[in-house]
Amino acid sequence: MIAELGHIFLISSLVLSLSGGISAFFLKKELPIQKFALLMTLLVTGAFFALIYSFVIDDFSVAYVAQNSNINLPIYYKFAATWGAHEGSLILWILSMNLWLLAFLSFNKSGSINFSNIVFGVCSLVIFSFLLFTIFTSNPFERILPVPPLNGADLNPSLQDFAFTVHPPLLYFGYSGLLLPFAISIAAMLSSVPNRDWASASRPWTLLAGSFLTVGIGLGSWWAYYELGWGGWWFWDPVENAAFIPWLLTVALVHSLIVTENRNLFINWSLLLSIFAFAASLLGTFLVRSGILTSVHAFALDPERGLFLLGIFSFFVLGGLIIFAFKNSTKNQSSDYSINSKEFGLLLNNLLLVVLAVSILFGTLYPLIYEAYTGGKQISVGAPYFEFIIFPFSLMLGLLQGIALYLSWGSTKSFNFLGKLIIESLSIFLLTLILLFVLFEDLIPASFITIFIFAWLISGSIFFNFSFRSLEKYLDFINRRIGVLLSHVGMAILVLGVGVVSSYSNEKELILDPGDKIKFHNKDIEFLGIRDVKGPNYISKAAEIRVIDDNRSFELQTEKRTYFPSGQVTTEAGIETGIFGDFYVSMGDNFNGDSWSFKLQSKPFIRWIWFGALLITLGTFVSSINMVRRLS
Amino acid sequence: MRRFLNLTPFIAFGILVVLLYSFLNQENEELESVLVDQSVPEFQLPELEDPENLISKSNINNLPALINVWATWCIACRVEHPFLMQLKNESILTVYGLNYKDDRQKALNLLERDGNPFEFSIFDEYGKLAIDLGVYGAPETFFVDKTGIIRERHVGVLNDKVWKDKFEKFLKEDNEDK
Amino acid sequence: MKINKVLSTILVLSVYTLGFADDSKEIYPFDDSNQEKIFLSLLDEIRCPKCQSSNLAGSNAPIANDLKREVYRLVRSGQTEEEVKAYLVERYGNFIVYDPPFRVDTFVLWLGPLLFFLLTLSIILLILRKRISNSKEINQ
Repeated sequence: MIAELGHIFLISSLVLSLSGGISAFFLKKELPIQKFALLMTLLVTGAFFALIYSFVIDDFSVAYVAQNSNINLPIYYKFAATWGAHEGSLILWILSMNLWLLAFLSFNKSGSINFSNIVFGVCSLVIFSFLLFTIFTSNPFERILPVPPLNGADLNPSLQDFAFTVHPPLLYFGYSGLLLPFAISIAAMLSSVPNRDWASASRPWTLLAGSFLTVGIGLGSWWAYYELGWGGWWFWDPVENAAFIPWLLTVALVHSLIVTENRNLFINWSLLLSIFAFAASLLGTFLVRSGILTSVHAFALDPERGLFLLGIFSFFVLGGLIIFAFKNSTKNQSSDYSINSKEFGLLLNNLLLVVLAVSILFGTLYPLIYEAYTGGKQISVGAPYFEFIIFPFSLMLGLLQGIALYLSWGSTKSFNFLGKLIIESLSIFLLTLILLFVLFEDLIPASFITIFIFAWLISGSIFFNFSFRSLEKYLDFINRRIGVLLSHVGMAILVLGVGVVSSYSNEKELILDPGDKIKFHNKDIEFLGIRDVKGPNYISKAAEIRVIDDNRSFELQTEKRTYFPSGQVTTEAGIETGIFGDFYVSMGDNFNGDSWSFKLQSKPFIRWIWFGALLITLGTFVSSINMVRRLS
Repeated sequence: MRRFLNLTPFIAFGILVVLLYSFLNQENEELESVLVDQSVPEFQLPELEDPENLISKSNINNLPALINVWATWCIACRVEHPFLMQLKNESILTVYGLNYKDDRQKALNLLERDGNPFEFSIFDEYGKLAIDLGVYGAPETFFVDKTGIIRERHVGVLNDKVWKDKFEKFLKEDNEDK
Repeated sequence: MKINKVLSTILVLSVYTLGFADDSKEIYPFDDSNQEKIFLSLLDEIRCPKCQSSNLAGSNAPIANDLKREVYRLVRSGQTEEEVKAYLVERYGNFIVYDPPFRVDTFVLWLGPLLFFLLTLSIILLILRKRISNSKEINQ
């Protein structure tokens, strides 16, 4: 009954979004669009809760529940299972698009009636198309009748985890947030708002979408690190790339909008980039859900869904680009800038980010292109390629970011700051090397460039505008620019984490019997024994490991869990977390008796990667909130 | 000129859409088989039925033949088992088994129970020959022609349709040559 | 001074012997740290054929373990990274390595990004130069 209600909610919001969207496009008068958006949001929320309810009461006559839940699944995961697979995650996606639209209409007070109407219209039509897609190809409320199963198949065990319950909603929020800059750019082209206005209307939402994307991707990486049991934090998997490409374009857009708002420049570029960023988020959805790329994360494959999503993608993206071709801004751009200006710096930043995004997309699709071109020959494009490509461009981006805040609009009068910057960053560089040497008794030249970039970014963002004579002024400056500062420092910290963890990591694979003692670097490790553990919906073999490190002694537990009813096995790693590094142990295979293989790893500075991502999230979030406050 | 420039993003994305569309229709091809048109690799492994008896390439001599990768843990292998039995019973061609990463006793029990379609099975506990053959899993089937060259490979269940589509023509070829 | 030296030598020696004692427990022991590096980097770059989207380091599939053992054997026998890769490509095709070769049919893949960057950069510089000279004329 409740599931049917949810279905009805979906259908009503389908009707509402289409009628609202079309009328907002053609009626050029004031419409109650905010109330309309509220109503749609409530309906989709209703559908979402109907689905949650079906999960909580174990209504296995609903096919989606039967496929992704189980009577023994802990209640917390029954909630999370709602968005654990394709159909339910679409509802969440649609809900978050509605929330974005509602937030925009509630806080944005600038622009003409026509402008807001078109933003509403575009969003409603996109929401409509997603609803159509959901109802016709991926209906989560579909029943298994007349004989429903007594018990469900279960939620994929590796998704039964805290980070995974929050990672997808945040990521979907980020993806769907790119709808707003897209709708705003269409509205800007179709109505005659001054560039300044639409740019300042777009900036906070772009930043906020970027903030959600960052935290979503960061959580995903953290989840992969401890849940997949081998200690990797980024794999250049197609699905990871599908999230990374929109992130890169969002970062580019955030920077280009600064120029459009402040200098009335890069207008067409910002319009285009808004379309590209949204296109990338749709493209990601397509790649993940059509199944054309084989991937660990891929949802159930269905060619019909792929075709439908490709249709949505082409309609909105190509439609947007047609509008761009005929309605773009032809006004002569007034301001001038020279090659040593902030404008040019940001232009280079955008160029590098877009080239990176395009290259990663190209690398991701290349195996398919190759297969089509050679008639069935296969090739893999993975980490070695992407690292090779990303390195020179990120190096240039890093060098640019360090001086970015010193550059002035128009042209930079003096480059005297370079001396200060170089001295500061060299000192930070040397201090970091000393720290690393003290910690690990080793210096690895391969990591020097990334460590230098870290130092360069730190001095370029923290010590920028800092002199000892006017601490107060500096604090005031920080107060005003806290968002920029946090995200730029976050980037620096992330870079250091990546640099150190990729060259200072160590690993060993061992076969141990209970009672065995071994040495791993400066640690004494003892395998105490195996315990049988019974969880709510799994049984597990848990290995107790004692680690004695300098003066500390602690115990870790790593598990091999067998979930029922699926019988799927997952590895739970035992991790001792530290600021300067993690000690990571994971169980491998069973040999005779209680003898098991183990993988021991040291992962220095790995936390810095996610801490950096967290700072970027915070920084963009703070900036965005400040801007929204200023707008409304 | 300007109009054309303005249209370039549209054109670029149009090409992307066409590309994606063609990927969507691209049949999910099987994994590439590098060993096709190469001779069977050299090996030396014990026989399943008799651990003392070492088998090498020269024992695969009743050509043309199939080499079938199987294991007791492989459920799909049970599905194709009757078809392999049929090949043996109708004496269509010899089938050599490659018992892949299996337990010897379990494997022997299975053959005892369901019948043994193989001339003999090579016992490849550690997947040694399997790596040389580029095997991904079980079941997989290779067609070896009478000169000892691998002509075709099939990943997945072997049945009547696959046999007719992929393998029969090679058998005919070999027979005609005679 | 001398005693210190003796003590430290003993210490170092004992650490080494302890180290050797560990080796019996290691699945893939190496005497040569260079070979170990090659081995670890190969585990990262070789794709697990069965799992489709994971490397050998990240997989516990039986076939991944077989391949690991084979890679270990080859590296221990003194083969270089390239030789081991070639060995596997001969059997499984280029699908098996995440590092695509640089060949006629892949040069677009490797050089594409750089070419794209240079192309866009030169277009931008061209447009900018035109605009700067235009604005100078207007100013004059």
